[in-house]
Amino acid sequence: MTDRTADEIREHVRNSYASRVRPVLDAPEPIQLVSAGDACCGPDCCSTEAEATTLTMVAPATDACCDISSGDDCCGTASGTEENLTRVEALYKGTDTSDLASSITDVAFGCGNPTAIAALQPGQVVLDLGSGGGIDCFLAAKMVGDTGRVYGVDMTPEMIALARKNAGKVGATNVEFRLGEIEHLPVGDAAVDVIISNCVINLSPDKDQVFREAFRVLKPGGRLQVSDIVWTKPVPDEIKQDMDEWAGCIAGAMLESEYLGAIERAGFERISSDPSEYEGREGIASAAVVAYKPE
Amino acid sequence: MRPDLMEILVCPTCKGEVTLTVYKESDGEIVEGRIDCAACKVEYPIEDGIPNMLPPDLRDQ
Repeated sequence: MTDRTADEIREHVRNSYASRVRPVLDAPEPIQLVSAGDACCGPDCCSTEAEATTLTMVAPATDACCDISSGDDCCGTASGTEENLTRVEALYKGTDTSDLASSITDVAFGCGNPTAIAALQPGQVVLDLGSGGGIDCFLAAKMVGDTGRVYGVDMTPEMIALARKNAGKVGATNVEFRLGEIEHLPVGDAAVDVIISNCVINLSPDKDQVFREAFRVLKPGGRLQVSDIVWTKPVPDEIKQDMDEWAGCIAGAMLESEYLGAIERAGFERISSDPSEYEGREGIASAAVVAYKPE
Repeated sequence: MRPDLMEILVCPTCKGEVTLTVYKESDGEIVEGRIDCAACKVEYPIEDGIPNMLPPDLRDQ
């Protein structure tokens, strides 16, 4: 991390996501699709200098990272409907998103496939850290059913407003969103069965605090199951310095071992990680991480 | 927000209990209102159905 302060990072992240979501939020129906190129966190997932420059202001992706699993460029090289849908479809491969409005799928910028959602059981209480436009919440809501609850927390007012609007479209009655910070969760102790998060924690200037809060709100035996961007090898200083300048989400990402260490320090056990490196980008991966709060 | 959100909601700062005051309700949804933490003497507004549970010092950044 650079010498930017935590507040500066938060402000940068919030502004960048607010600016991304406003066109979707304000658009008349049918929604104008957002360029996939606006939704990226990877260093060289964008192919031109111009795109990279754009990313200077696109700090770490709140809920917006890259699709590693598809092997495609996460940003794409052009904007447009077909490409964006391809990215979302690839990311959520095997998951039925066909009943979700474009205003939901267009702002789904996760970096992992939703295995966390697939593992959910009816009746569970789920918390999504950095819920964005709400796609993972709505998919989770289908899994936990009427007896379960899904809570989304995001620090960007525009994202929460969009998520709430989307909840109306989906007709989800077991999902709630609220403005909040993942470092200061407004959730009681031992209230949640499963915490999910898709490419968000890398954005936090205080990841230890995020994991401590996650541990606190989980019930004993509860599960943390997140996807996030991590480094799989130490980053050469010159690269890190360069990336700091234009790709906040990579600059904010931790070395995988440090990331897992932070989870362990928070008290979790049975920690596992399955990193998938970006094609052609050695050292940067999307990690599917699972950890449990002791019984 | 629906009233049952209060079951899990706490003050983000002190993690203590919070109380709900409803100004406007529609179809079981609280559209306008506020959530108070007595310990911190902080009010968290509910606007357009969305509870703003950001800690006070982070709201206006």
